[in-house]
Amino acid sequence: MIKIDNVSYSYSKGGGVSNINLTIQDGEFVFLIGPTGSGKTTILKLLYMDIFPKAGNVIIDKFDSQSIKKRKIPYLRRKVGVIFQNYHLLEDRNLFENIALPLHVLGYQKEEVVELVNESIDEIGLSGKESHYPYELSGGEQQRACIARALIKDPEIILADEPTGNLDPVASFELIKLLEQISNDGTSILMASHNYNLIKSRGHRIVEMQNGSVRQ
Amino acid sequence: MNKFIFILSEGFKNVWRHRSSALSSIFSIYLTLIVSGSLLIVSQNTDKLVEYLRDKYKIEVFFKNDVSEKRVDELAQDFKSLNGVSSITIISKKDAEKIFKSQFGDDILNILGYNPLPASCVINLKKDWPTKIDIKPIISNLQKYSEVDEVNHQGKLISRIENYYERFLKVMVGIVSIAIIIAVFIITNTVRLTILSKKELIKSLQLIGATKWFVKGPFIIEGFVHGILAAVLSLYTIIGVLNFSKYFVYDLTRFDIYYDQVFLFQVLLSLSLLVGFIGSNRAISRFLR
Repeated sequence: MIKIDNVSYSYSKGGGVSNINLTIQDGEFVFLIGPTGSGKTTILKLLYMDIFPKAGNVIIDKFDSQSIKKRKIPYLRRKVGVIFQNYHLLEDRNLFENIALPLHVLGYQKEEVVELVNESIDEIGLSGKESHYPYELSGGEQQRACIARALIKDPEIILADEPTGNLDPVASFELIKLLEQISNDGTSILMASHNYNLIKSRGHRIVEMQNGSVRQ
Repeated sequence: MNKFIFILSEGFKNVWRHRSSALSSIFSIYLTLIVSGSLLIVSQNTDKLVEYLRDKYKIEVFFKNDVSEKRVDELAQDFKSLNGVSSITIISKKDAEKIFKSQFGDDILNILGYNPLPASCVINLKKDWPTKIDIKPIISNLQKYSEVDEVNHQGKLISRIENYYERFLKVMVGIVSIAIIIAVFIITNTVRLTILSKKELIKSLQLIGATKWFVKGPFIIEGFVHGILAAVLSLYTIIGVLNFSKYFVYDLTRFDIYYDQVFLFQVLLSLSLLVGFIGSNRAISRFLR
């Protein structure tokens, strides 16, 4: 379960969020919508503890932002898969190496890595492109690779920050369907987006952000 | 174990991935090692020279005429226990008579009818002191004995040589320290530039749950590899220069340059690993703070 309890955060140059309260149950798919600068990315950063609340606290499972030690943050992040609008794939590594990275962090055996990564590449429909570098893949393919990298460690939570931002409508729709499939398997998903038309008919809870606050 | 192998292989791959910045890092460690290695050889040879000179240091103690041979033996044992003394050679009155005869050709007994030459002893000093030898305490200790008539020594010469040697050691430590600091500084900045260009990799590793050491590891291994390469290069350079120049030096000075290849490599390698580790660890730690 994810719980954001009366959280406020402000950046030194302005912006941030104030008095946010949000609870996401296990396996729930929640959309976070709002215009650019409304605080969606800040919420996601607070959840993967890249930044810490100035007031209130964020609780994910047994990890509490108020009491977590710095050295424990990696263990929280192992439970969380993050998907970005700009993919954040490593340019000097091929598709296989990019997807395999989380498994190396978790200390998987070489044979297991090969098996799981090939399976994952197959699932996202990129078989045969294992040795392709990110610049040799299309935007949609890179986004799928990014999702595969987030999913390969079997996370309990997925945080997606504008994952459809660089995709065409068809690819965006396919990505939402893929995330829904993952959510049906019990993974909690919080997806930030400013494309209301894309998500309005999906039947999931929508949390609207405006000027750093949740609009009731 | 799997993580360790991954970190190790990433470190080695990084050397190739960051080859352009690796060159400046290796070159700065190489220069530091050349300076340190050369100073090590100079220091070893200076030690050898100083040991040779110390071997020549002698303190002559003349006893009063009425001191018995037995008492001379006892005193010699006392002197041997003084700090800095390695051995004592006793010259009895009879020995002195023989020395006189061998040097002047006449028997002193025939000339004077008695032997006026006093018993004495020659004190040899230890030669393997790590710092300078101070003979003043030894001299003042010797002079305290009432049986001692006169103490002859090369005090001024010894202290001059020892002072130069002490100054040389200080200058050498200073130069090596400065060279190491400069190398650490250069490596820190080189690695920092590499890290800045690898910001995305570090961020990605952090986001997928990599621990601090998992992120740091490859950069530190990379620093070690730079160090090892620089150590091997500097060893071959120093040995090459020594092999080339030792015959000229011998022809000019009759001095055979001494160096221990294995010891030299051990020192260079340890120094390079230390510099490589401190440099890369400083850079990545600052970034991860």
